[in-house]
Amino acid sequence: MLSVISAEALKFTRHRATWGLVWIWPIGLTLIWLLAIGAELSGAGGEAGGDGRGGPTAAGWIADNVGFWSVPGHTFGRYIIGAFVAVVFAGEYGWNTWKLVVPHRARNTLIAAKYAIAFILMAIGFTLAALLFNLFGWLEDVVTGDSIPAGITAGALLKAHGAGALAALPAVLLTMAYVSLAAILTRSTVAALVIGLVVTTVEQLFFNFAPMFEPYAPSLVSTFYQVLPGYHVANAASVISQGRVVEIPFQSGAFSTSIATSLAMVGAWTFAMVALTFWSFRRQDIN
Amino acid sequence: MSAADSPVVELESLGKTYGSGARAVRAVQDVTISVAPGEVYGFLGPNGAGKSTTIRMLLGLIAPSAGRIRLMGRDLASDPSVLRHVGSLVDGGNFYPFLSGRRNLEVLARTHGGGQERIDSLLDQVGLAKDGRRKVKGYSTGMRQRLGVAAALLNDPDIVILDEPANGLDAAGIQEMRALIRRLAAEEGKSVFLSSHLLHEVQQMCDRVAIISQGVVIRESTIADLLRQDDGLIVEAQPLDTAQSALESRWRCTRNGVALHVQAPRDDAPEIVRRLVGAGVELFGLSAEQRNLEEVFLSMTQPEAANA
Repeated sequence: MLSVISAEALKFTRHRATWGLVWIWPIGLTLIWLLAIGAELSGAGGEAGGDGRGGPTAAGWIADNVGFWSVPGHTFGRYIIGAFVAVVFAGEYGWNTWKLVVPHRARNTLIAAKYAIAFILMAIGFTLAALLFNLFGWLEDVVTGDSIPAGITAGALLKAHGAGALAALPAVLLTMAYVSLAAILTRSTVAALVIGLVVTTVEQLFFNFAPMFEPYAPSLVSTFYQVLPGYHVANAASVISQGRVVEIPFQSGAFSTSIATSLAMVGAWTFAMVALTFWSFRRQDIN
Repeated sequence: MSAADSPVVELESLGKTYGSGARAVRAVQDVTISVAPGEVYGFLGPNGAGKSTTIRMLLGLIAPSAGRIRLMGRDLASDPSVLRHVGSLVDGGNFYPFLSGRRNLEVLARTHGGGQERIDSLLDQVGLAKDGRRKVKGYSTGMRQRLGVAAALLNDPDIVILDEPANGLDAAGIQEMRALIRRLAAEEGKSVFLSSHLLHEVQQMCDRVAIISQGVVIRESTIADLLRQDDGLIVEAQPLDTAQSALESRWRCTRNGVALHVQAPRDDAPEIVRRLVGAGVELFGLSAEQRNLEEVFLSMTQPEAANA
């Protein structure tokens, strides 16, 4: 298994999709920060001496400086994740290269290696970006003369980064599951990408706007909220990162569930789609 | 039969049907063939005959609808790991275009779980030592084909399956490929199963062939048997008219330039000689009719084209 993962690593660390969709986070962040700090130092961004960034407390400063972890779970972040997963899984159909590798390894191993490498590369990209975001926040405060509150410890920072990463995890895994399944079923990078975009967008729109339709079909909307993964992704992220459940203000009363329920729902959806991906690929004729 | 002589590839009543009901298309039907150790086996057929489908089933890329595949004596369906003994070139060598030829082989070696140490020698063997570090997207069709052969040999397989290995190669490349395939069988004892539309190449390379048409194997035999015309003898004699008169009471005879084609089995040769001598004909030659593989192939797969 490790050798297959290393083969995938050899492939994808050199692919431009990895540069454009994964390494873009730390690189783009660095470029944006350099531009911003350049503007600030040249006076275009306001006076030195503080921009109100961060808070007077250590907790506020840490929360601001690990804020990058909200990106992978954000709709835009999920689009990028979906695009990368589409390339990793459907690329083999486009290059017509499944024929090269399928005879030599169990199909389950090949798919598992793809999940592993997609996750590992994205984890590295997001972690690097989050750490740089943190570093740049500190540097900015140093350069601009903003005070850094006392009481910030490495342990507290690491804990905050861990919580941020965990909060992003349900959205990342669910997006990987959607898009990988779409890639295997459609055998097309573009189709997988489009399906990923549509599903993620619909999921987000439903989460934001479904309460508006609750007066017309209360039980249906409520059932969808409980069964579909959109609410549960948001709820899990909220509980992990902020310690509070998401309440939906239905007319019949506020709707919320525990994190255990939300994690179970997201886990069930993810597991079902991943299992279907393995099953479909095992049965697929590679012409 | 000892284990060493047991077929390394056995296809038993193999079939593949796409779709179901009224829209079902039978791509391959009841294919039964076997390949012996160290044998070069040709798989011939016109486009759409079922060659590629059969090869894909052999490689576990397509699931058969019927029948059984045994490789090295092991059932492919229940033990797909047996494919580790197989090297293959399918579809003219498709590779990761954004990687160099060498990196592609490294990816495959890691996927196989071995063969890293053979990469340099294989690149050298297929004439890509200098171009190994170039990206595959800049390779010509022939170069991809060569890389495909290197990829097929990477895991030092016992069985090599090559789908149209000479595609895209120039005359010198085809000659090198022919020499390589012969060497694989003769010196390294590998069994080679290849499909090709270059009948001349198959005739020179293969020990046995199967001819497939419309999904069905219509003939499996050695090249020598296939080329031998069982019911055709060529008579070179003077005067030809007298010879024809002496023979046509028993056999169907047709003039073929300065010779006479007699539709008779080889066993009738002594009787033909007796009749010709009895008729006072001077006999210069009597031989079994030989056809080339192309004529045999066409007569079996497209009778109307062969007669044209």
